[in-house]
Amino acid sequence: MLAVFKREFKSYFISPIGYIFMGFFLLLSGVFFALINLMSASAHYISVLTNITFIFMFVVPILTMRLMSEDKRLKTDQLLLTSPLSITGLVLGKYLAAVGVFLLTILITCIYPVIINHFGILAVWEVVGGYIGFFLLGSAFIALGLFISSTTENQVAAAIITFSALLFIWLIDWVQEILPKDALSGAVFAGLLIIAIMYLVYRNTRDLWVSIIPAVLGVGGVVTTYFLNKTVFDGFITRFFDWFSLLKRFNSFAMGIFDLSAVVYYLSFSAVFIFLTIQIIEKRRWS
Amino acid sequence: MIQIKNLTKRFGQHTAVDHLNFTVGKGEILGFLGPNGAGKSTTMNMITGYISATEGSVIIDGMDIVDHPLEVKSKIGYLPEFPPLYPEMTVTEYLEFVSDIKKVDAAAKKESMEKIMDLVKIGDVQGRLIKNLSKGYKQRVGLAQALIGRPEILILDEPTVGLDPKQIIEIRNLIKELGKEHTIILSSHILPEVSAVCEQVIIINKGKIVASDTPENLSKRLVGGNQLILRVAGAEKEVMNTVKTVAGISYIESKGEREPDSVDIVVESETEEDIRKPLFFALSQAKLPILMMKSMDLTLEEIFLQIITEEEVVS
Repeated sequence: MLAVFKREFKSYFISPIGYIFMGFFLLLSGVFFALINLMSASAHYISVLTNITFIFMFVVPILTMRLMSEDKRLKTDQLLLTSPLSITGLVLGKYLAAVGVFLLTILITCIYPVIINHFGILAVWEVVGGYIGFFLLGSAFIALGLFISSTTENQVAAAIITFSALLFIWLIDWVQEILPKDALSGAVFAGLLIIAIMYLVYRNTRDLWVSIIPAVLGVGGVVTTYFLNKTVFDGFITRFFDWFSLLKRFNSFAMGIFDLSAVVYYLSFSAVFIFLTIQIIEKRRWS
Repeated sequence: MIQIKNLTKRFGQHTAVDHLNFTVGKGEILGFLGPNGAGKSTTMNMITGYISATEGSVIIDGMDIVDHPLEVKSKIGYLPEFPPLYPEMTVTEYLEFVSDIKKVDAAAKKESMEKIMDLVKIGDVQGRLIKNLSKGYKQRVGLAQALIGRPEILILDEPTVGLDPKQIIEIRNLIKELGKEHTIILSSHILPEVSAVCEQVIIINKGKIVASDTPENLSKRLVGGNQLILRVAGAEKEVMNTVKTVAGISYIESKGEREPDSVDIVVESETEEDIRKPLFFALSQAKLPILMMKSMDLTLEEIFLQIITEEEVVS
């Protein structure tokens, strides 16, 4: 894992990608720091962090697009997968390399609160908590990008899909508001969701029975539950999209609250996508 | 050392490798022959654990690759069809990385890398970026990568492809040299290479083994008796009549005129008896000079073609 991490981390700075990521991130965070703190003579640094969360949408795809796809294109995956190296170690090494570049970048931005502290009064613990939240949020996005990168060998496709996924997460809070909240549409949505998941299972396993039986049972379960207890599906669609609302969970950090449930949420979000990446690579060996 | 049992790989409806069975003993060099798409690379990818088998098992040193993937992988050095190189790294950086993922002892790393670079003769390019190397050098860096960690088994997928004739001979000698310490499986469609290097040859076609023997036995098995080809100056009819008088000949066939005023004929004797001397005396007595006479030993190319075409006739 360490060898993969080292190689991957270095390669960010051999290719222009690492510099583009850091440059773009630092430029925008600098602009926001200048506008919010310096120009308006405010010591409220946490609102800079809150405002620049949108940068992730543009910079995370740069950071993750070639992470897994490059090895497939160069055929170096043949070296990695035939060497005594576990797939978990491989994926974790790559993930941590991307997270490492990100961490390095946000460490540079720590200059800003230091400047504020010099000239004014800084809410130190609020900023520390905010940085932890900000780091975990970015790491969760990187995990998503890592996963998307493992599904394709085309870097451009990986970048565009990652951008779209992040855009979706960005818009989720607004979209949520206009979605229907009644029990019937909730139940229909749950049924469709089960069918969609089982279709994906079928696509990957090519086993008709393994996918059809749970699909039928699941849809049957939804229908039965709907007739027995409608309230279960009240606002189901909203709740479902809420699971993917990473940014909403950053709000408590923005208010200066260290929200442990958000920390757990971000960590589990990352863990799920790292796990899925490992599965994708494992599965590719079987098909 | 290597035991392959019922190894099968299906991609959807297509069966790429179909119930292969063979074993390779310690220190042997096995040649793997077959036309493009025969399943050579797929088989090698399964042996090295890059892809999984649909059916059957690969057992290395008594360990199944499914149950002990990391132990088995640490025993194998693999040079795939396209050498797995990172173009933006220098040769040294790359080999260091490979040493790290193969868990080579940090103290021995430097020394073993230098030894390997000497062996495959890439010492003079060690500081250069891999993307700037020529095809031949890239292939050698790929080979160096397979040698790192001193694996007991080497799997080489077309190791000489894209090299110039001088490099081919060098690599071939290197493989022979390596065969003294390592067990090697080597695939190729350059057939003289296999006969020069390997002790055992497996020919596969459409995922199935069609022949498996030593290179010498393979050529003996397929010649089917003693065949000679002769070129004799003179009229066809006269030559044929003279040859017919020689005792011990079971078959004569004229191949027509290939050189002005001469005729080519194929002669087969039924027994192991050497008919070259009687043929010479008979023809010289008839004042028909022999321009050429050679035995029809099939080269591996011809054996290969013969086996593959026989297969097609049968199926």
